[in-house]
Amino acid sequence: MKKTPERIEALAAEYVLGSLRGAARRRFEQWMMESGRVRQEVWFWEEKLGGLAEDVPENQPPASVWKNIERRLWGAEQPADNTVRGLGRWFWPSWSMLATAAVLVLAVVLVQQPRPTGEQLSGAIVQANLEDPLWLVSESGAENLLKLRSVAASAAEAGKDYELWVVPENGQPLSLGVIPAGGVHQVRLSDEAREALSRSRTLAISLEPRGGSPTGAPTGPILHVTKLYSL
Amino acid sequence: MAQTDADQDQLMRLLMKIAQQDRRAFQELYESIAARMFGLCLRLAGQRELAEEALQDAFIQIWHRAGEYHSDRGAPLSWMMTIARYRTLDLVRARKARQATSDDDLHDLDDGREGPLEFSLREAGAEKLTGCLDELSDVQRDSILLSYYRGFTHEELAQALSSPIGTVKSWIRRGLMALKRCLEQ
Repeated sequence: MKKTPERIEALAAEYVLGSLRGAARRRFEQWMMESGRVRQEVWFWEEKLGGLAEDVPENQPPASVWKNIERRLWGAEQPADNTVRGLGRWFWPSWSMLATAAVLVLAVVLVQQPRPTGEQLSGAIVQANLEDPLWLVSESGAENLLKLRSVAASAAEAGKDYELWVVPENGQPLSLGVIPAGGVHQVRLSDEAREALSRSRTLAISLEPRGGSPTGAPTGPILHVTKLYSL
Repeated sequence: MAQTDADQDQLMRLLMKIAQQDRRAFQELYESIAARMFGLCLRLAGQRELAEEALQDAFIQIWHRAGEYHSDRGAPLSWMMTIARYRTLDLVRARKARQATSDDDLHDLDDGREGPLEFSLREAGAEKLTGCLDELSDVQRDSILLSYYRGFTHEELAQALSSPIGTVKSWIRRGLMALKRCLEQ
């Protein structure tokens, strides 16, 4: 189906309202990934209809809800504390840099797809001023393959390459090699990379000398950090 | 109960900290919005167990997705409420919970609702959408509000409003488009 302005308008409203269901809903989520115009339309409705939620009476949830959230995120033995966890030491300088570049790296849009077996992660690397995502990322679970489809990514500057990394919850990022800025690129994940990715669900792309980082750790600026989701 | 700009700024600050894995900020966020969010989940789900699960899932998504929030997506609170709403609708549909919900369960809810859509929400909704809901016909407005607040399917709406499904679909579609024209003015 073509994305005409009329269809986008009508479907976005029904998507947010919730009356768009089943296969049509999943198709529309694909549209959201592919087009900034579609996302804008969805956000318009989320904001407008979101106001309706403010008038629903409050209701205090039982304490067990918060306990379960903590348990699911961090395990039972670790209560909330002030410790910053998750991204390893390597990552911290980059995070502050990213904060300045926060306008550059924006949303990750969910892809909802039926998953026949186990979890499959997917997501998109998007940039604020571009309609289309730079890359779409999806995992094909059975063979430990991570597929990157380049959509709006442009080639790295002369003498440079983009390098893809799994950012584990702790420790050094794991290189997934250099990625091209065109076409479809597949990476086979080692067991270690697969394991780290399924825990942290975080990928990063850095700019490296041609052929990739000479040291095995990122040396250039981190251009994008993205979280993947399983649905 | 409208959120002030200061509240929204505070939520924004919390989200930025959460994006950097700050657990204390996450707990603070939970304490400040959980009751509001649970109210919405409960209304949509029509039963506590499912609403509690949706609330948990929503906060887990917020933890993972805080870094995705940006101002184009609307105010921080509506972004988070949207996450909770979609999750509740997903769970309700996955389990077809409504079919299993007896009238007794509905009476257990202490939100004082009566009829398909209580008057107070209809009024509040009209105000929130800057009077634009008033421009719709009664059936258009009720179909939209019932979908929003109760997650009614087309079939359920048809039953509640004693009308054919095709008619209900067209009420929603036309109502939404009329609403948009009005909101854009």
